[in-house]
Amino acid sequence: MSPISVCDDRIVQEVTIKASAERIFAALTQPEELLKWWAAEGKFRIMQAECDLQPGGKWRIQVAGNCSGEATTSTVYGQYQTIEPPRVLTYTWIRENEDYPETLVRWDLEEKDGYTTVRVTHSGLVTEGLRARNDGWTIIVTLLQTYVERQ
Amino acid sequence: MTIGNHLVTFIGNRMVTHKTRQNEAVFRAISDPTRREILGILRGGRHTVGEIASNFRMSRPAISKHLRLLHAAGLVVTHKQGTASLCSLDAKPLRMVDDWLRDYATFWSESIQSLKKYMEENS
Repeated sequence: MSPISVCDDRIVQEVTIKASAERIFAALTQPEELLKWWAAEGKFRIMQAECDLQPGGKWRIQVAGNCSGEATTSTVYGQYQTIEPPRVLTYTWIRENEDYPETLVRWDLEEKDGYTTVRVTHSGLVTEGLRARNDGWTIIVTLLQTYVERQ
Repeated sequence: MTIGNHLVTFIGNRMVTHKTRQNEAVFRAISDPTRREILGILRGGRHTVGEIASNFRMSRPAISKHLRLLHAAGLVVTHKQGTASLCSLDAKPLRMVDDWLRDYATFWSESIQSLKKYMEENS
């Protein structure tokens, strides 16, 4: 099993889409749009979405999931931080009823010749203490990789 | 989505259950820079509490307190050798952190592919 490529405490995923940044930004911020696309067949689906699109405004989604055939639901919520249509969107990401720390999601959209590169960055994934940016984090990544590679 | 004493993540279709309390202990343990440094020191091999403490400016009782938290999280194991206590590292509990990161990596990867599909089919 190869270790997941995390640098710092973040996950970065990127995709290029044949659509304008404006359209994609709308899909990321309008509840009725979120319900249409945010799903992975057989795995999870967004069932409800609320978006108060303004800095400090709250957002909330209800996710229906599937764990080995068993139906589950959970709620994720947070607050909008940066809203710069159609290029940047950031919000906090908190899973309800869980003890995991508050995390941050950032969307970067870059349009060129009819295509838009969408990059999503989920950070703060390990603990909020890490926001203090300590070198110590590399130790954890190294330990994790050493451990996982041994498996 | 707490089921009994366990936590089931909604991401991905594989069952990921963890004991909440154990997770908390691991996250708390690695949230502190001193504790992360201690883990780094133990990566190099076993050490006594005194040896570990000599790397830091803080008092030995303060280091012992950090070691207790690491021990509670299952990241540090102590063995008696004569009168001294030797501490060693057990990275196994970090597997949970790795699972968690992996689940999110899958979740975002699937999410953006789903966004792409929706955008390109409805353009």
